[in-house]
Amino acid sequence: MQHNPYVELNFRPNVQLVSVVRRFVSEFYQRTLSDPDGTSRVALATHELLENAVKYSKDGETTIRIEVKADASPRTVSIMLRNRAEEQHIAAIREIVDGLGACRDAFTFYQDLLVSKARNKEGSGLGLARICAEGEMRVTFDVIDADLVVLEATTQIGGAA
Amino acid sequence: MSAPIASVTGDDFSATATHDGAAITAVMKGNADYAALDGVEKVLTRTHVEAKRLGVSEVIVDMRELEFMNSSCFKCFVSWITDIHELAEPTQYKVRFLSNPQLHWQKRSLHSLRCFAVELITITEA
Repeated sequence: MQHNPYVELNFRPNVQLVSVVRRFVSEFYQRTLSDPDGTSRVALATHELLENAVKYSKDGETTIRIEVKADASPRTVSIMLRNRAEEQHIAAIREIVDGLGACRDAFTFYQDLLVSKARNKEGSGLGLARICAEGEMRVTFDVIDADLVVLEATTQIGGAA
Repeated sequence: MSAPIASVTGDDFSATATHDGAAITAVMKGNADYAALDGVEKVLTRTHVEAKRLGVSEVIVDMRELEFMNSSCFKCFVSWITDIHELAEPTQYKVRFLSNPQLHWQKRSLHSLRCFAVELITITEA
């Protein structure tokens, strides 16, 4: 039986550590994915998801799990984040995810968002859409027990298994 | 001889902008994450002010040693390009990005930026 390789970190990160995790993920998957572009997309998504989680987490605790589903064809990578968030942050995530779902493609949605956020002073508001448009990922979102956010970004990757 | 316009140096990020002839060149190196946000904003704001004052035709942004850029720093570029776009057409200047093909995120992010303002932006892989 083949096991899917994964990394899971359960920690109380601060924003300074996000780049440390991204570099670790990048190096780890450079060696295991044999797909430099796929690795770059996973690293970008990891950074954006973690930075959001750290900024908006209620208690600072975040769990991230990155799994390569090597038994799928083509292989897929899943990045799952769980953290407790305030209601307004959950609403902001929902707005982006719903917007992405309603748009004919992620890149069009992202381009529209660049126009609307260009003058926005509070945060970029681009992270999730960037993951989907530039990272070619599909993002799903669930809320458990009112404030536990579960975000999952998945993508197909090339390279040899 | 090039004249300095702006410079920022952090633990993990640095940026300088200089003027030389008809162009301003901004060189960014390192990791443009949350800690680099003020630096990126400062360099792009100063670059825009000086580009208008000097009437340059082109600003070159050298990203070849820029390991990563988060969405907050990327948004600074979106705001800057919007500023250029809002100038009267004869005073608009072009932006040329020098990118590193080994850093795959650059290809994707710069493509997004170019689609945002295709008439202003060119990308050179170097």
